[in-house]
Amino acid sequence: MNFTEILCFIVLFLVLPILISGFIRNLKARLQNRIGSPLLQPLYNLYKLLQKSETISQDASPLFRIVPALNFSIMLILAVLVPWLPFHFSLPGSEIFLVLYLFAAMRFFSIIAALDTGSPFSAFGASREATLSALTEPAIILSLVALGIAYRTSDLNEIFSFSQSHGLMQVSIWLLSGAGLFLASLVELSRMPIDDPTTHLELTMVHEAMVIENSGPNLALIELAYNLRLVVYYGLSAQCFMHALAVLFTIDHATYVLLSILAIFILAFLTAAIESFAVKLAWRNNPEFIAYALTMSLLASLAAIFQSAFASLSLGNLGAFL
Amino acid sequence: MTPLEFLSIAAAVFAILMCGTGLLRFNLFLYSLQTFSIALATIAQSQQAKEPELYFVAIAIIVVKALAVPYFLSWISNRIDARSDPGILIPIPITMHAAIVLLGISYPLAKSLPHILWLSDSTVGATVAISLLFTGTLFMLTRRNALSQIIGFLTLENGIYLVAVTCTRGMPFIFEMGSLLDVLVAVMIAGLFVFRIKKSFEHIDVTQLDGLKES
Amino acid sequence: MNDLIMALIAPALIIFACLIARSISILTKLATGLILCHLLVMIKILMPLAIGNTTFLTLLPGFAIDRMSALFLLLTALIASASFAHAQVFFKQEETSGHGLQTAYVRQYYILATLFVVAMMAVYASDNLGFLWISIEATTLLSAGLVYFHRTKNALEATWKYFIICSVGIAFALLGTIFIFASSQHDQQIGSLSCFELVKLAPNLDLGSFKIGFIFCFLGYGTKAGIFPLHSWLPDAHSEAPAPASALLSGSLLNCALFAIWRIYQIAQATGRCQFIQDVTIWAGAVTVVAAALFLVRQYGIKRLWAYSSIENVGLMLVAIGLNSPFLFFLQAINHSLAKVSLFLISGNIIQSTGTKYLKDIRGVFRFAPVWGIVLALSALAVAGVPPFGSFVSEWMILTENFNLKYIIPAILIIFGLTLTFIAVCLHIGPLLLGTPKSTSKIFRPIASSVVPVTLLIGSLILGLTVGYEGLIKVVR
Repeated sequence: MNFTEILCFIVLFLVLPILISGFIRNLKARLQNRIGSPLLQPLYNLYKLLQKSETISQDASPLFRIVPALNFSIMLILAVLVPWLPFHFSLPGSEIFLVLYLFAAMRFFSIIAALDTGSPFSAFGASREATLSALTEPAIILSLVALGIAYRTSDLNEIFSFSQSHGLMQVSIWLLSGAGLFLASLVELSRMPIDDPTTHLELTMVHEAMVIENSGPNLALIELAYNLRLVVYYGLSAQCFMHALAVLFTIDHATYVLLSILAIFILAFLTAAIESFAVKLAWRNNPEFIAYALTMSLLASLAAIFQSAFASLSLGNLGAFL
Repeated sequence: MTPLEFLSIAAAVFAILMCGTGLLRFNLFLYSLQTFSIALATIAQSQQAKEPELYFVAIAIIVVKALAVPYFLSWISNRIDARSDPGILIPIPITMHAAIVLLGISYPLAKSLPHILWLSDSTVGATVAISLLFTGTLFMLTRRNALSQIIGFLTLENGIYLVAVTCTRGMPFIFEMGSLLDVLVAVMIAGLFVFRIKKSFEHIDVTQLDGLKES
Repeated sequence: MNDLIMALIAPALIIFACLIARSISILTKLATGLILCHLLVMIKILMPLAIGNTTFLTLLPGFAIDRMSALFLLLTALIASASFAHAQVFFKQEETSGHGLQTAYVRQYYILATLFVVAMMAVYASDNLGFLWISIEATTLLSAGLVYFHRTKNALEATWKYFIICSVGIAFALLGTIFIFASSQHDQQIGSLSCFELVKLAPNLDLGSFKIGFIFCFLGYGTKAGIFPLHSWLPDAHSEAPAPASALLSGSLLNCALFAIWRIYQIAQATGRCQFIQDVTIWAGAVTVVAAALFLVRQYGIKRLWAYSSIENVGLMLVAIGLNSPFLFFLQAINHSLAKVSLFLISGNIIQSTGTKYLKDIRGVFRFAPVWGIVLALSALAVAGVPPFGSFVSEWMILTENFNLKYIIPAILIIFGLTLTFIAVCLHIGPLLLGTPKSTSKIFRPIASSVVPVTLLIGSLILGLTVGYEGLIKVVR
């Protein structure tokens, strides 16, 4: 990894989280015939929150104060470990399972922090979040593991590098994993069909209810971690789709980087579109939606297993066919 | 992996996703995508096996099965105001996962088919074909809506067609066309009967059609 | 080619008549006349084949008639004429009894019934397994409209079940056909779907895929024929259809499906390595006989009774196919068709005059309609296989053949099933014939309404006496 790439990574790392969430908000407004907030509105919000003082429940333990900072730092580590952009640090820790458990640890901490305050609303949000993550986690695990099976390694950087040979079966695995990850991340990030991030009705909130007790700089950290998480998840799914594309067509690196960023924006666009046109599902219908994520990842694993069975098959070329 | 195999896998995936929703419109859309992939797979096969008449079959499939039939069925569902299907026996998400398991099972089944059927190493094609048979049957068994039954039947029919494409060389053209015509007529008649059922019973839930039970 | 055109003229004219005829009575009379002409034409064309003077007649590419199909074609033409002839009485009565019969429905009925008969004839005439499949699918599509004739909720339900179950079954038969085609592509051959070619190629077929193909075809066409676990649509459809349509369904459609199985079974026999297939066929037949007999014991509807009896006969015919005896298959088919059509038609009369199809509500048929009572009793006995009638002979021969080929347990099962059937039919028919009738029920047009059943019954009797005599001599030797 050379100097330009590191520079690119840092810039994108700093800019994208704010930009993407601002983009989604703005686009949603435009799709609903409103003018909407400026693209950098999340930044202004963070600034505003940092200015404010903090109100903390008397019953809260120190844990409640520590967790946002803790989660934010875990998120920073994850952002470096996960190959969500087409640049790879050769860090030793980018194991699938380490990454998965770091994500799980974040969820765990935010759930206990929510329970810590003793507020009924946040406890209620926490319980819902726990249910949802229990349902989504298999989907995320399986879609990453499918890639692991296909490339016979659990190192994410190695999976997402281009050293491996590619066939059409890989295309299906990449596509299915990417779709599974994207759908799962919609749930994981409490986006629309499951949870409405802009809702004002406490009964339907999930994530918002969980962080309802946080305020001031504490909330700012949570928001920032959330934005980062959004970009990392979308980036990872975008990388899956990009790899599928790269199997079919030869793309040079600079274009590839640009296309990757574009892909993240397309996913953000999709999110905004879903949030404008779809309605929030009733709570008991959620498993039906999550089942799709799980199905995609299960199919990806199945395809990966088949692929190892057909390792000897000759490679086809869809491009020639088209 | 050949384009034929890739497209047939796509068909299997669309069929499985179809099991995962109770919304008829979405079911029909996914059915249409599935049939499209099968038609494209036919074109791929016709290039590979040098059977130019398969082009016509593919075009006929696109026109009849991928466009006309779903359009007709969605028109009916609008007319009789049937939007969704609550499912029966097992919950809808589980149906989808069962369909995946069946896809897994179809692989050893396809492997165990007699060796004559391996024309140009069509394991994947045969796997997908068998999985479509399973998925269609599963769909018919786990849905209660008369329209869903038709969709399941059509999926089953797609599976049978895919067996013909992948496991034989040069199925007689007239036979392919004849069976396609039969499917079209069957769907038309079934559609008319759905209208009648809605009119007489005021629902189209086939599990409630039990007036003729034994004694 | 000329033969084909001649055979199709009468059906075409009937459809034309349906489109132009003003009233129901003109329509029914025209249709009856034309179908009788059709029968005569068919006899003229097919007689040389049926008695064995000519062996083969090619109509079109993919369509050819051999002796067996000629016999079945004649049977179909006969059943069709009987059904159409009786339909005249049936619709007349339906009209006068004030059920609000619409001319459009009758028109539709006749058009569909004619096309249905043509489709059934196409089944017998097709030499190509693909055309065979298409024709059988066409019979399903066309006969669904016949079952729905009464436009009641029950009729609709029966139609829907019939339509969906048979379509799915037939779809599996298509899969089987594909596998059979694949099996003929062994050793880089081009492959063929023609039955006659497949019989010639049989030793070269790939046995594995042929077996798969046979099983799927057996299941598929078996659904259409009503083999035991797949029979659920049959009683519903046969009991809800109007009597002439039930007669067509039971008297010739079941034969059609069995004929398809027979065609494929011929290929299996020609491979010379088909013990497994023979076992499957005979066992399935025997089990069907027993299961149908058990279902017969508790029935509430008069036509459902005959429907289950049809299933039982399907089982017997299947055993005859399994014994690889075309003669027995046809004998059983013709005996069953004659007696069963007569039964369905006469039951239709009774249902029309009493206004109910429940066994418990019909009493004293002997009292209010002695002619019908006698015909019903005799036909029921004929179906149950009582000696002077044809069924007895064919059943007897099937049983002896079974013992000869050492299928002891199936034979015992069949004996059990037949006995049970006889008892069940007698138990159900006894109270129906005796007792005091309700005041509302009375006979209508006694001669016209019984002429067709009586003719068929006499046919069955003659068949029993002549073939039975020969058969007995054969057995004695």
